[in-house]
Amino acid sequence: MASVAVILLSLALAVVAVLTLWWTLHAWRTPEVLRGTRFEAPLASRTVRFSLLVPARHEQAVLEQTITQLLRSTHDDYEIIIIVGHDDPETAEVAERLATRYPALVSVITDHNPVKNKPKALNTALPHCKGDVVGVFDAEDQVHPALLAHVDHAFSTTNAAVVQGGVQLINFHSSWYSLRNCLEYYFYFRSRLHLQAQQGFIPLGGNTVFIRTETLRRTGGWDPECLAEDCDLGVRLSSQGYRVVVAYDSLLVTREETPDTLMSLFKQRTRWNQGFLQVFRKKEWRKLPTFRQRALARFTLMSPFFQAYTGLLIPLGIGTALLLELPAAVALVTFLPLIPTVANLAFEVAGLHDFGKQYELNVRPAHYLKLVVGAPLYMMLLAGAATRAIYREGVGARNWELTRHVGAHLHPEQVTS
Amino acid sequence: MTTLIERPEAPTVRLRRPQRDASWRPAPAPKPPKRARHRRPEGSRFSSDTWIVLALLVVVLGVQAWNITGFPPISADEGTYLAQAWAVARGDGLAHYTYWYDHPPLGWMQIALLSWLPGLLAPGALAVAGGRLIMLVVTGAAVVLLYKLGDRLDLPRWASVLAVLLYGLSPLAVIMHRQIYLDNVAVVWMLAAMVLALSPRRHLWHHVAAGICVAVAVLSKETMLLVFPAVLIALWRGTHKSTRTFSLVGFGSGLVLVGSFYPLYALIKGELFPGRDHVSLLGAIFFQLGGREGSGSVFTPGSSAYITVGSWLYYDKVLIFAGLAAALAGLFLRRLWVPAVAVLLLAVMVLRPGGYLPSMYIIQALPFLALSVAGMVDVLADRASRLLGNWQPVRRKVVIGYVAMVLAGLLAPVWWQGNAAALTRQDTQSYRDAVAWIGSSVQDKDHKRIVVDDGMWLDMVKQDFRPGTGAIWFYKIDLDPEVMTHLPGGWRDIDYVVSTPMLRDRPDVLPTVTAALAHSRVLATFGEGDNRVEIRQITT
Repeated sequence: MASVAVILLSLALAVVAVLTLWWTLHAWRTPEVLRGTRFEAPLASRTVRFSLLVPARHEQAVLEQTITQLLRSTHDDYEIIIIVGHDDPETAEVAERLATRYPALVSVITDHNPVKNKPKALNTALPHCKGDVVGVFDAEDQVHPALLAHVDHAFSTTNAAVVQGGVQLINFHSSWYSLRNCLEYYFYFRSRLHLQAQQGFIPLGGNTVFIRTETLRRTGGWDPECLAEDCDLGVRLSSQGYRVVVAYDSLLVTREETPDTLMSLFKQRTRWNQGFLQVFRKKEWRKLPTFRQRALARFTLMSPFFQAYTGLLIPLGIGTALLLELPAAVALVTFLPLIPTVANLAFEVAGLHDFGKQYELNVRPAHYLKLVVGAPLYMMLLAGAATRAIYREGVGARNWELTRHVGAHLHPEQVTS
Repeated sequence: MTTLIERPEAPTVRLRRPQRDASWRPAPAPKPPKRARHRRPEGSRFSSDTWIVLALLVVVLGVQAWNITGFPPISADEGTYLAQAWAVARGDGLAHYTYWYDHPPLGWMQIALLSWLPGLLAPGALAVAGGRLIMLVVTGAAVVLLYKLGDRLDLPRWASVLAVLLYGLSPLAVIMHRQIYLDNVAVVWMLAAMVLALSPRRHLWHHVAAGICVAVAVLSKETMLLVFPAVLIALWRGTHKSTRTFSLVGFGSGLVLVGSFYPLYALIKGELFPGRDHVSLLGAIFFQLGGREGSGSVFTPGSSAYITVGSWLYYDKVLIFAGLAAALAGLFLRRLWVPAVAVLLLAVMVLRPGGYLPSMYIIQALPFLALSVAGMVDVLADRASRLLGNWQPVRRKVVIGYVAMVLAGLLAPVWWQGNAAALTRQDTQSYRDAVAWIGSSVQDKDHKRIVVDDGMWLDMVKQDFRPGTGAIWFYKIDLDPEVMTHLPGGWRDIDYVVSTPMLRDRPDVLPTVTAALAHSRVLATFGEGDNRVEIRQITT
């Protein structure tokens, strides 16, 4: 009896781990797939006008740098709308200064909602958007000047309603968890999102996401009560059959920083997980046309939990088999899920190498060591965040825990200037 | 002057893999025009390749199956592996006696999967002779994979056919492929690894699967590790720069993680490290590496290695020498690196003095010898064709065809002679008669003890002698403590002993067997001379 239970558990874990490996490695399946994940080189013509929304909250330190960078865009038809809270005079001051300096390009909208969060801020700005396409950036994002031209091209050559560009955390050297966090983003945007887009079910990213204004207004904008408004929007658009195009180019990705403390990473992850749970419970994904898509939706929305708990259940299975002195064959089965899990770690090492090469970063042996040694700790962090998310959702705690940004991905002189 | 302008062969160089987009590959430097090597029309390709493979299967398996139960004589290893497979199929563990990590068990676990086949096709045969039918499935898989591998190494179709025919019909191959050897099973997985490594789609998961195949090959027969560098060459060729890192990691993960289950099994059983009262994996490895008596130098007449190599050459000089020559020349042709490196690595290990050289060692070289020869024939035909470039295509074909026929004419009689024995000789007859005699003349079998060699052991079990303690493999009487506890009286507790060439050829460390023979009288004899089988009863 114990044997059967342990075998079933182990096989289930192995399946989850193989599926995780599957999406992690999607982009590298064949050279053709890898090439297909990139942006196409844009033509000279401009076909859409962008409204770029930049919600900023207590981010006066990084906002100016971000907007200045956005203004270097090679695309010549866009407006920038900064959204600030009525209770945040420091950020508002920076925003107003920028609006005065670039009156034709930058405007400021004040969000008067008593309880603030990102989807509410975005919804506040939506009626004011004059462009054909709404783009979202965070206040600390480093955006490449050529990005808009490429996105424009992607809209004009496909019938996409949404274009999702890449986002990459860069400050892998800051700490052991930054390293893992950076790599998570690398695999997510480099590989997984492409697979999801291809399958017609995609939770969007929080920024560097571009949506046709008309589509956005028709679907009612962002869900103000959802903790993962980006994921929710993606699910709703997928369910209504809108086409999402994902493109990744290491040159064009939006660069971001990891949370500055382990605690804020923990909170951020709790919020995302809880957001995924909320999206799952909203059941919008049930409207997806095919069974395959619905199955993928179910798996995608639950995968943060699957992933978090496999790390804990694998040693549990092995321990049970060894402690109960189950037959050697059963004990061997409990080791099966370790194959994809350890292989995943090996691929992460390859990914870190690739990451360093693409972003011309100096990845040293110590970083590889940190990556491997940090794996179980990170797994525990994720499991903790998953548990906390379930708990918070259970007791109805749905307030927005904001991630603090200090600008670790910027050069020091850029932050202080 | 028109004669100087060569008419292009229509259609000119046609890339074999049209689904590949050429643009991701850096455009190759302009080369002198190659001949149209691969003219495989898209629509008919599947069907014509399938027909060719089916025809090859009929020919190769036909020759292998004909008289498979009669020739060659039953060997000890065949009996051992089949008995171990029998133990696995029954759920008795990994061997019919204590498993001591002599070889990784995956080879006979696969044989166990097919152990239902002999009962279906040859219910009356001797266990080992009938068990050989399992090897038909194994050879069949190898034929399909070898043909595919030839294709993926850019050999033209006829050369792939040639490789398969060399591989399947060489008298040396016929005698080796018929026997229940782990090497035959392992070779299939090694070929599969190469085919997957050279997957035209360059798919990451194919490369992962290639790594897993190597692991299975090595866990089927550990000597497959020798060919490993050739798989790496195939993998390097089969990967693209942009995804190579991930492919290599995937391959390595598949190989290492699946391969590690073997030591893991030993660890779980508490049998990884040598200890006082138990078998161990590392202990067995140390024995294989150092404790075993070497086979001497190949160049010392009379040494075991000399005799083994001599026996290979006796069955087929052509494939071995032509294959070695082709492999040496193949080192200078990138296209032939995979088989050439495999052949040469195996050859170097043979020439290394003092190693242990079993006769089935040649099995893992056979597909690569065949591929090297076929590849080199293709290269030579290509050269000859270009040398005769000014000739009309028809005349060229006639000349090349004529040369091919002469070569085939020279080879055919040699091979015919070699295979004649395989197709006609009845070398298992005395075993068959002895088993039948025991079946009808010995009563009360489940309370008797009979000592036999491993070639007959399963037949005794089938006749209701108790496995292990009633039907006793002679080797284990003095070497397996568990068997000895059942025989407190030594040879006196034994009822019968069957003296066969294998038993008479035993090592000196088996005093109980010697004593049993000395205190016994012959009940019946089958066959003559050194090959006779005597059924002896113990007399006290």
